[in-house]
Amino acid sequence: MTELARMIATKAVSPVEVVRVHLDRIAGLHRDLRSYITVCDEAALAAARAAEAELMAGRGVGPLHGVPYALKDLYDTAGIRTTGGSRILGDRVPEADATVTRRLAQAGAILLGKLNMVEFAYGPEGLNPHYGHARNPWDRAVHRMAGGSSSGSGVAVAAGLAPGSLGSDTGGSIRIPSSLCGITGLKPTYGRVSRAGVLPLAWSMDHVGPMTRSAADCALMLRAMAGYDAADASTSVLPVPDYGAVLTGDLKGLRVGLLRGFFLDGAAPEVRATVETAARVLASAGAVVDEVNLEHMPHVGGASLAIVGSEALAYHAERLRTRAGDFDPDVARRLRAGAYVTGVQYVRGQQVRALVREEVDRALARRDVLLAPSTPIAAPTIDTRQVELGDGLSDVRTALVRFNRPFNLSGHPSCSVPCGFTAAGLPLGMQLVGRPFDEATVLRAADGWQRLTDFHMRHPVLG
Amino acid sequence: MNDDASDLDTLRRGARLAGFTWSDTELEEIRPMVMAGVRALHALEAAPIAEVEPTTRYRTV
Repeated sequence: MTELARMIATKAVSPVEVVRVHLDRIAGLHRDLRSYITVCDEAALAAARAAEAELMAGRGVGPLHGVPYALKDLYDTAGIRTTGGSRILGDRVPEADATVTRRLAQAGAILLGKLNMVEFAYGPEGLNPHYGHARNPWDRAVHRMAGGSSSGSGVAVAAGLAPGSLGSDTGGSIRIPSSLCGITGLKPTYGRVSRAGVLPLAWSMDHVGPMTRSAADCALMLRAMAGYDAADASTSVLPVPDYGAVLTGDLKGLRVGLLRGFFLDGAAPEVRATVETAARVLASAGAVVDEVNLEHMPHVGGASLAIVGSEALAYHAERLRTRAGDFDPDVARRLRAGAYVTGVQYVRGQQVRALVREEVDRALARRDVLLAPSTPIAAPTIDTRQVELGDGLSDVRTALVRFNRPFNLSGHPSCSVPCGFTAAGLPLGMQLVGRPFDEATVLRAADGWQRLTDFHMRHPVLG
Repeated sequence: MNDDASDLDTLRRGARLAGFTWSDTELEEIRPMVMAGVRALHALEAAPIAEVEPTTRYRTV
């Protein structure tokens, strides 16, 4: 996106050409990849023509002027249906844009369409029986999970059907598809980006953020989206830095804590070895790497279940009473299970949340970022139910969210970046976790990593 | 929910308390998930949180 923005601003390429190339690619690959729910072809071309006219007239342009992107289909878009990946909202057309939709438009970005996702964002595999299961583009022979819930966001960026996208992350839904699809995804600090106009899964755990090809692109999108919003009481008044300005590539003296125990011990051997190698590469570039063990992590699963289960059911209770048959049966089962969480257990979850946040803060008191795998495995096939991890057998759902949920509970920013490939050619991701509202350091570390490696530059071969 | 949530009648009562009326088939479908959830929730009692005040503000700054 940074390169496209530069080329458009200098008139090296026309926004109309850029949009048309993406729409052609979507048309050619959509049926197979199922990454989009709605394609806004006419509106995107009209916006591109207007962007071109403004450029030719010499009017001032925003940082994303003429650059196309796509939205997970839970961001409200005025006049464009927003389904939440559900049949129940299949005809829902919002009257107003979500705050971030509006901010990206003000920055000049052009919306290509609305992306596939797990129904109501409740699931990490990336499956959707209503709009088709998004397909991981890295395996043409076998249908593998894209990861979720922002499955279409991961697939579209990886397959070149959008240079950037937005996802949302309640238990890893930005970082899991970023890891499985080989792209870069940032879950910002809770309160950094407005959630107004974004369909919720669990209010206190939901984060929205960019999914792109590089940390530099995430920095560009985040700057345009972040900041206080009167429509979302959780947003902070802290000023939004120029994230792009801190991407110096300098890793000298960066203090990195490699998360062992729950994280590295739980990863499949191939993932563990890849992240350990990444830590050595960072150290060779001047980073100061040590090892950390977060002892309260085994309580994260129960706490997340108590909080997300309760909040998700509270939001969907009426639909579950009146439209139960229209839900994805798997999503309906997960929502129903939330009815068995007691009030005391919800509070226990919030107590654990305080404990986890304090522990992560303590680990970051003497370090700039923490390093861990994003997922313990590469993309499984869509019929996979159980996987072998470093510390035993796990159901695939628990495995995919395992390394992500701690930072939804704690609210710390975390960026997933590609860090290698399996022997079978599937991408692997690692996450860099930073202090609250210090996305600048997280992105600096991610960008520094990407200047040392080329994993984020590789793309799947598609027809 | 107690440890004996595997009992269908307990599931039925739990659903009613939460304001839902689900069929026995629907309850049977969620029974394994509820059981796993109950185990995870009970494990929270082992967390060192007796003196920890629950989070009430999700944004730190």
